[in-house]
Amino acid sequence: MRIAYYPGCLAQSSSKELDMATRWVCHSLGIELVEFPNFSCCGSGFIDEANEVLNIAINARNLAIAEKAGLDVLTICSTCQGMLNLAKVRMQDPKVKSRVDAALKPIGIEYKGTVQVKHLLKVLTEDIGLPAVKAKVRRPLHGMKVGAFYGCHLLRPADEMQSESAEEPHSFEDLLAAIGATPVDYRGRVMCCGFPIQFVKPSTAYAIAGKQILDAKAHGADAMATPCPLCHLSLDAYQNKASKAVQTPHLDMPIFHLPQVVALAFGASPEELGLSRHLVRTDGALAKVNASAPA
Amino acid sequence: MPEEKISVPFEVYRYQPGKDTTARYQKYTLDLVPHTPILTALLQIRAEVDPSLGLRYSCRSAICGSCAMQINSKSRLACETQVGPEVARHGRIVVEPMRNQPVIRDLIVDQSRFWGEYNKIEPHLKLDPRRPMPEGKVTSMTPAQVDRFKEVPRCIACAACYSACPAAEADPGFPGPMALAKLYRFAVDPRDTAHEERLRRIQPDGLWLCLRCHLCTEACPKDVRPSERIRDLKEMAISVQGANELGSRHAVGFKENLKGAGQLNEMKLVRATDGLMGMVGQLGQGIRIYRKKPEIMKKPRKIEGMDELDKIYAALDKPQKEEP
Repeated sequence: MRIAYYPGCLAQSSSKELDMATRWVCHSLGIELVEFPNFSCCGSGFIDEANEVLNIAINARNLAIAEKAGLDVLTICSTCQGMLNLAKVRMQDPKVKSRVDAALKPIGIEYKGTVQVKHLLKVLTEDIGLPAVKAKVRRPLHGMKVGAFYGCHLLRPADEMQSESAEEPHSFEDLLAAIGATPVDYRGRVMCCGFPIQFVKPSTAYAIAGKQILDAKAHGADAMATPCPLCHLSLDAYQNKASKAVQTPHLDMPIFHLPQVVALAFGASPEELGLSRHLVRTDGALAKVNASAPA
Repeated sequence: MPEEKISVPFEVYRYQPGKDTTARYQKYTLDLVPHTPILTALLQIRAEVDPSLGLRYSCRSAICGSCAMQINSKSRLACETQVGPEVARHGRIVVEPMRNQPVIRDLIVDQSRFWGEYNKIEPHLKLDPRRPMPEGKVTSMTPAQVDRFKEVPRCIACAACYSACPAAEADPGFPGPMALAKLYRFAVDPRDTAHEERLRRIQPDGLWLCLRCHLCTEACPKDVRPSERIRDLKEMAISVQGANELGSRHAVGFKENLKGAGQLNEMKLVRATDGLMGMVGQLGQGIRIYRKKPEIMKKPRKIEGMDELDKIYAALDKPQKEEP
């Protein structure tokens, strides 16, 4: 399949390892990533708070770029997915559409609304399908207990995201099971990582992140995996802060990006996936795999 | 054809502060038809099995908002949630009190914090005292004006949103989804004259503690969509007060951030929100992250077609007050 690749800002900068893993997985599944150097940032939910119509217009422009090329959009970030999809939903309101069109038409951009926006999780579980994913597994992650952490904007609002059940989703767990890992059930998997308020009140943001990590740990997770680089920052890059906020000295919870766990099962090496770029070491979780199921 | 009964295992949270040292989960199994509301089942338990079970309820018709509780970890009205789908999905029904409010007994919680936040925003119309409403007359609104807040009056104050809210859970300074949705309702009412006063009544950054996680919108049984009303309120607060709080500075700073390259410049954003002094405070963590991810210091690549983005900004971004 060919799809317009919308990496988002972080995967092109501080979360480069997410981009590396995405390319690895897509290459091995025969997904052709078509790149568009004119895609802009999605606004990350913040521009939506400052100026809703502007945010819709920015993303309608992004959508129109893929639409013109006749491609659907692949996202690898829950927030990008949420923002691009939000623009799609809001553009169905004729009043909003006429305001946005008035800004887009003079610069020769037309948004028709035919383009679909799909997160990698959906592409893997629905378009490619779990049997095809399973067929590529060379090193099943047997023995590794993984807590899926969905990220808010992939799920909610459910009616707008046209997602699976927002409160009881299962596609990520299904994917983890398909690559041989053992999914862990815990309440925190559908909760917030705290990232959006990290600038407003860091102590509260860290406490929220810490709570979800503790919850996954209490349910036996060796690692967590997330489809969102913002969640990854919150759970990995700031885990030392989260640790202090929940008064647990060593949370030591490895946090993977979604395509990293898939690529590991497909046989990629830690180096190819940039695992050394994480702030929390991942070797403890990897050792669980090696211990019980040598490649 | 009457529905066939199924066996429904319940695990009900039981706790009496002062009497019990810890909470426990009492097991009951009832034979019920799948469409039985969970409230009906709980009342049957209380009537036939265990009269000591404490719970709050009244109308049984999803109107009064009394019977909100946690059902298999979801904030729900017990009167409109049926046993069948819950058993089908979970094999059992775990019933717990609402979260984020202290337990008085079993499924009954102390709602004073929830109502306190509600009262703080003075949820009633405040007309201009210099222009009192003429006797026997009503002040009317246009349908378009009503449209701006039409979802909010559906609220039945059940507190399901408050129970689901991770910001209310982690921070007592957050007013909660309902209070903010109600605040929005009065803030956009053209007859009300206390817009700015109400916004000032929330503690600094209280509004900006909303995580826009939309858990409240999922929990709300009346589709008030509190998270979306809070978003509307944030944009309004910026236009009324300017970007005078960390949260609003961050939102406006992010909007400004895309000018120039069309992609996020992480360092510029930190500086816009926290200022230079704030950046110094985060230096240690910044260096820790930089050592693994040096790209955080890199300027983003300028997107192609930046002129298009500039023109979109020019057309749709009205100048907003920015305070230092």
